[in-house]
Amino acid sequence: MEKLKDALDFSDFSKAERIGLIIFSVFLLVFPWLGTGSFAKTVMIQFLLFSLFGMGWNTIGGYGGQVELGKAQYVGIGAYTVALMMVWWKIPFWISMPAGILIAIGYSFAIGYPLFRLKGHYFAIATICTSLVLKDIFDNWSLVGAAKGVELPIHEHPDFVYMQFKSDTYYYFFIMALFYIGLFYMNWFRKSKLGYQLRMIKDDEDAAESLGIDIRWCKIKAYSIASAFVAVGGGFMAVYNLYIDPASTMELSLSIKIALMAMLGGAASLWGPIIGAAFLVPLDRFLGSWLGGQKGLTGIDFMIYAALIMIVSAYQPRGIWGIIEQFRKRGR
Amino acid sequence: MSFLTVENIVKDFGGLVANNNVSFTIEEGEIIGLIGPNGAGKTTLFNCIVGYHRPDSGKVTFRGKDITGMKPFATNREGIGRTFQIMKVTTGMTVLENVMVGAFCRTNDRNTARGKALEVLNDLALDGVKDYYINELPIAIQRKVGLARTLATKPVLLMLDEVASGLNPKEIEDVVELLRRLNNTKKITLFLIEHIMEMVMKVSQRVIVLDYGEKIAEGLPADIVRNENVIKAYLGEKYAQGL
Ligand SMILES: Nc1ncnc2c1ncn2[C@@H]1O[C@H](COP(=O)(O)OP(=O)(O)O)[C@@H](O)[C@H]1O
Ligand SMILES: [Mg+2]
Repeated sequence: MEKLKDALDFSDFSKAERIGLIIFSVFLLVFPWLGTGSFAKTVMIQFLLFSLFGMGWNTIGGYGGQVELGKAQYVGIGAYTVALMMVWWKIPFWISMPAGILIAIGYSFAIGYPLFRLKGHYFAIATICTSLVLKDIFDNWSLVGAAKGVELPIHEHPDFVYMQFKSDTYYYFFIMALFYIGLFYMNWFRKSKLGYQLRMIKDDEDAAESLGIDIRWCKIKAYSIASAFVAVGGGFMAVYNLYIDPASTMELSLSIKIALMAMLGGAASLWGPIIGAAFLVPLDRFLGSWLGGQKGLTGIDFMIYAALIMIVSAYQPRGIWGIIEQFRKRGR
Repeated sequence: MSFLTVENIVKDFGGLVANNNVSFTIEEGEIIGLIGPNGAGKTTLFNCIVGYHRPDSGKVTFRGKDITGMKPFATNREGIGRTFQIMKVTTGMTVLENVMVGAFCRTNDRNTARGKALEVLNDLALDGVKDYYINELPIAIQRKVGLARTLATKPVLLMLDEVASGLNPKEIEDVVELLRRLNNTKKITLFLIEHIMEMVMKVSQRVIVLDYGEKIAEGLPADIVRNENVIKAYLGEKYAQGL
């Protein structure tokens, strides 16, 4: 009860932020009726999905300050659990998605335990490696479709058991609901004991340890929360795309995009991942369609991302939200 | 049974023996000073007790329990609080949030932690700076914040590493006052590394002296300043004559 109150309580934010949140929410609600066409709706769905990924990353990466670059493996776990359970055993989404979360959490504990012996760059590299290994396994594992991936059987009518719809509007509202659950959860998380402890770990690990904080255990907990968030998004991707393969769910570029969006928008802030996704998802789409057709230009999008990372970390490590706060402080 | 028993602690940093067979005991309620020249191994000894280092040999017993090699978070939960010689100047959390983290050591509830933190801040006259970040504060206040967040974990043994260094005489006076009060009213046992002799001699009931990793003397402050070995190693003739 207390937790629910914390989750829904935004009163420690400034008035401008609260009004911003209301306007943004109204916009999300009426968006499907604005007549913007199907392309805009696809972009909006991607935006909400990546916001959700970024919020998850923010627990360990933002509040905990651990540069985590392997979130894609959990997209894969979430997506494959939903897809395979449906294809093999006709298990409804509402069972397979929670199963995906549980598998992601179990897996995150198993690899988090050794991973968090490492610090700094070593940790970052190790997260990349574990994700690449999992992708390699799936690329070669014929039982799960290997590199060809898995196709989901298509249902003609709106189906709330398997969450399959012809119209994107259904998916739009579904991912929006997940987005708000994520947002409320994070609003609670930032005020929770774990949230405080992670921020202390980020600031000063030695001091954190002297204050009774079991650093490794805290990091593992945050890492598994992040993984659960991302697995939910992965499950959504399976029913939304109706086709998944290792390349679309477990690629390194996906891990980097997730981390980059949160960092660009503002790590360790509730709004950061949302701002980052609002900025990068359209850019990603634009670069994809613009450069996709031109031979030899693939990869330029990553150069642009790399440049963005450098600009952000040099100018304001706390991202776009950090810049906004800087100006607000100066204004006062 | 003593409150804290340290037996034959050895810590060897690859040839450099920072602690060599150090033994002593502390009783509940005491104020003990730890002195010695720079590099004598004082901080290392603290780290061996609270668990930042695992001693190569030796044993640490706290309130009857063997805590040798326990992690720092675990020794903190046993009731040992420690502050750092060099406090990291951080930018991520306010003073109140820092102290709340300490209070979260004993509760899961945010409002309880907040209440406890405010109580400690009030007690140390820090309520005026509760919304500042550590990097925005002068060093004397930073050290007090370091002390406050440790106190919020409710230690029964408080180990302070040069808490008065960098402070002016007036500020040192305040710290001495505060330490006495913590010892008197809160019944916290104090173990302090100090460089400023006036302060150690004034506040400690007993003093332990380290030199090149070895304990060279232990006793009442008045005896320590007259101890031959201590004078040679550390104090210099002048100081002894001055007293
Ligand atoms: N982590 C470490 N690794 C190697 N040598 C260390 C380490 N910590 C301290 N030392 C060395 O041990 C000796 C004692 O250091 P320290 O305990 O910090 O002395 P003090 O606190 O009495 O000034 C010094 O020579 C120091 O260089
Ligand atoms: Mg020292």
